[in-house]
Amino acid sequence: MKEYAQDLSSLIDNELDEETVINEILEDAELQQQFSRYQLMGDVMRDESNGFDLRIDVTDSVMAAIANEVQKDNVVPLASKVKPANNVVPFMKRFGQYAIAASVAGVVVVSSLMVNQNSVTDPSVTPVLSTVPFGGAAAPVSLQVAPSSTKDEIKEQNERLEALLKDHQLQLQIQP
Amino acid sequence: MNERELDLQLIQRIQNGEQQAFSLLVRKYQTRVANILTRYVRSTGDIPDVSQEVFIKVYRSLPNFRGDSAFYTWLFRITVNTAKNYLTSQSRRPPASDIDADEADSYDGSGALKDEDNPEAILHSQEVKRVILDTINNLPDELKSAITLRELEGMSYDEIAQIEGCPIGTVRSRIFRAREAIDKQLKPLLEN
Repeated sequence: MKEYAQDLSSLIDNELDEETVINEILEDAELQQQFSRYQLMGDVMRDESNGFDLRIDVTDSVMAAIANEVQKDNVVPLASKVKPANNVVPFMKRFGQYAIAASVAGVVVVSSLMVNQNSVTDPSVTPVLSTVPFGGAAAPVSLQVAPSSTKDEIKEQNERLEALLKDHQLQLQIQP
Repeated sequence: MNERELDLQLIQRIQNGEQQAFSLLVRKYQTRVANILTRYVRSTGDIPDVSQEVFIKVYRSLPNFRGDSAFYTWLFRITVNTAKNYLTSQSRRPPASDIDADEADSYDGSGALKDEDNPEAILHSQEVKRVILDTINNLPDELKSAITLRELEGMSYDEIAQIEGCPIGTVRSRIFRAREAIDKQLKPLLEN
């Protein structure tokens, strides 16, 4: 250490330009302390050390904080590694899917309209699948139609129902 | 090599990933940074924390340092800005008059401090100064002259050699012996 002490003194005075001396200082804790004390001597002589505790040396705490910061920077969370580099590709992919679905739907609607307009209905030809009931018209299931039958018709229906019931009872009695 | 070149050499090492080189910059400038902070920070107890913040900011900003201005000028600006931010965080107003980088070295910040300062720390600091200055006064004349011309007048070894009428190697040796003599008294005082 002693052999570098004079070089240290020259380095502080900017009278030495040797990388090896800096390397030596950086590897030797005692030389670093000596570097601090030599600096302090000059600061005190130039009266640059007023109003604070001269025992305080923040070097260790600063270097510890920096080392801690560097470590944090090096640790990359796993989740961030899994994330894609950017979101442009997924967005474009999804947008493309929507566009295809919309265009297919549009083609279906337009073509069905054109088919309905151009088709000529031939009543003699029975379609494979007829949606028109045989009765000629379909009534909605939930629609309540007002009774159009007269009193006589109602009376006749009731008599028929009574006859059916009597017949049913007779058959029950005949059966063993 | 001048002061600027040494700083640049250390900065280049740091920019190349040699983190430990930053410790020499901290050791070199921490007293001057603390001296500037006394202009802004009213309690000496806060100076170590604010100093640490200054140097961490400097380290983070070093990749952007291009060397257009001297490192100390750049460090000075960061120190003043950090001190002002500290005052804002403490809900205090920064001082009405700013100081320049040129004035900072000679600024006597002791007047800005309040009575809340630690009296033991003040006594100790006065003791450190007394030991350094007394040791210099008791040095042989040729050593005292060499260290004074270097530290107070900022002369180069070549200029001192011309004034003293001796080889540069002798100047180098005298300055080192003066520092060694002061260090012998100073080291136990700082370790205690």
